[in-house]
Amino acid sequence: MGLTDALARAAVRHAHVLAAEVPGHWMTRVAVERQVLVRGWRLARSPGDADILAVCGPPGPDLRRPLAQLWEQLPGPRTRVEVDSPRAVLVALDAAAANLRDTAAQRVDSRDRSADGQRPNGGHTRDGDAAHGHQGGTGHEGTGHEGTGHAGMGHGMAVAPAGIPLAAGGQDRDGLAMDVLHLRLGPVLAYWPGGLVLRCALQGDVIVDAEITLVGADESTTTAAEPDGGDALRRFAARRCDNVASLLGLAGWDDAAARARRIRDALLFTAGLDRPAGELDRLRRIVDRSWLLRWSLRRIGPLAAPELAHHGLPASLGGDVRDRLLAMLDRAAGCLADRRPPNRPRGAPVEAIPDLVRGWDVATARLIVASLDLDPFAANAEVNLG
Amino acid sequence: MADPTVTVVPAGWAVAAAGLLGLLAVAAAALDGFLTARATGAGPAGLSRPFGEVTRLMRQRRRVTVAADRLLWRIGGAGLLVMALLITTVVPLGDWALVDLDVGVVWVNALDVLAWAFVWLTGWGANSAHSLVGGYRFLAHGLAYELPLMFALVAPAVGASTLNVGTVAAAQRDLWFVVWMPVAFVVFCTGVLAIAVWGPFSPAVGADVAGGVTAELSGVDRLLFLGGRYALLAAGSAFAVPMFLGGGAGPVLPGWAWVLVKASALLGVFVWLRRRLPAVRPDSFLEAGWLVLLPAVLVQDLVVALVATGGG
Repeated sequence: MGLTDALARAAVRHAHVLAAEVPGHWMTRVAVERQVLVRGWRLARSPGDADILAVCGPPGPDLRRPLAQLWEQLPGPRTRVEVDSPRAVLVALDAAAANLRDTAAQRVDSRDRSADGQRPNGGHTRDGDAAHGHQGGTGHEGTGHEGTGHAGMGHGMAVAPAGIPLAAGGQDRDGLAMDVLHLRLGPVLAYWPGGLVLRCALQGDVIVDAEITLVGADESTTTAAEPDGGDALRRFAARRCDNVASLLGLAGWDDAAARARRIRDALLFTAGLDRPAGELDRLRRIVDRSWLLRWSLRRIGPLAAPELAHHGLPASLGGDVRDRLLAMLDRAAGCLADRRPPNRPRGAPVEAIPDLVRGWDVATARLIVASLDLDPFAANAEVNLG
Repeated sequence: MADPTVTVVPAGWAVAAAGLLGLLAVAAAALDGFLTARATGAGPAGLSRPFGEVTRLMRQRRRVTVAADRLLWRIGGAGLLVMALLITTVVPLGDWALVDLDVGVVWVNALDVLAWAFVWLTGWGANSAHSLVGGYRFLAHGLAYELPLMFALVAPAVGASTLNVGTVAAAQRDLWFVVWMPVAFVVFCTGVLAIAVWGPFSPAVGADVAGGVTAELSGVDRLLFLGGRYALLAAGSAFAVPMFLGGGAGPVLPGWAWVLVKASALLGVFVWLRRRLPAVRPDSFLEAGWLVLLPAVLVQDLVVALVATGGG
């Protein structure tokens, strides 16, 4: 027993955490991320990589199902905590660690799960025939089948090996018949705006069609999480830095992403503004100087003036992904220099996303979405108030 | 070979060689943990990271996805580690080698192509969209790095007029190949990074596809795949020593120690590079691979061939 416990303790010291952001509670997610890194833990990229599912904010009814699906995909030993506010982070993560260390409890948890990844009967069967279990046929949302996409495939197929319908055919860009696969991005995905759901139809890895929805858009929770006044300036700049960190993380530049994250945390959790402003300036120079980033991101998702006007997007989103990344950094730096946040609410370009990602591959589409500097729920709240 | 340059040791030493490779891989992972913790700016130093991760993954359940192609999935996941071990068999540690193959260079070249199969199979086996996209992203990189890598290996072989790794190392007594074949060396290093799905060549396991081929891996499967990546990085650095860095040549220390020192140094640079550089998107890299790397390394080969025939 002594050895088992010692190993458990060593394993938990290196736990991986999947932070599931409830829309409007990004501050809670930031607090969780910070505390995770302070403990020497890691942020997971997919549920398969995670030991702890940290739900950041009180989840609304339409998030329960995606969260349950995520939970099923954690390999185990696993634990799930709900962190209602930034203040609750310490207690919640301590509880999670204790739960992970509890080998006996983890054994009980794993006993109830089937080994082969098929969804156990009596689980959250929704659309299939409960009597047939996972062989029900349509829209099987199997355990882990789609990874972080967490979604069923197309519906209504006749043939369905292991309960997964085969992909339907469709004409691709060149008029060739090609399989169409349906993949859902979000609502919980690393470096993805919380609550955003992009349903993509893929041919190969190219998005041929997409539609967007927002889940968990609950006005009361959104406003409760973002109190007015006070640190609006810091929050505005920190949010930009958070978006910069996401984009740099997606671009695979870990050092720069870590830098952006540190600036974000300094803005939110420390007193002075001069140091983060200086660091931000440095980050801007580093990003600007990187020829590899310039070369890798060039010509991705270009937006010219007519397209911006057509989609009702602000002029600051012009250019390609790299231009928008620099503009994001400039916005953060500008508001810190002026000592006040921009008072005009920026329009939420969420509705434009399907048009912007159509024709790009999934990974590039992620870069494009990240470059839009989204703040969907805050923007919604502002629009609704005005 | 009229005059064997290395002594072949009994097969039992393979265990020691595997241990050395493991040591290098663990050191690389510890360095990566340290650099990551330093960039984070908070938390513990991160040096215990490889041990903690091993414990964590050994304790983790081995999760299987719906309708996974288990056999191929596991072959792919474990394959990288096997590849790394097989590469080290022909790398001479100073005067000793496990196998003194006459075609050692070709052996390594044949092995590095296996990465295509292993990484892609890992992506394929999980039956998951993100994994599969990751697998194909690796193939796209492969289309661009493989030919330049092959021609990069040609340069030292031509320079030393042999395909025997030990003899290639011995041919650098006067001048290391890295000095007059810098292009081939850089392209070789690019290839090693790419085989190990490392740094700029990590889009196959990138965050933009939710971890790509690793998205669905857990427990011992993930451990083998990640360990295989570090082992490949270590094996690649070790192979660069006899090919470009003069083998065991060096003052004071014995040959085997120099091999380890040089391999560790190169490995350290590889690990450090990962954090410093953004990922190279596969579609952009295709352009660079075919329009820049391939012509450059061909010119390098031409120069080496002219020098070799002229000097010989």
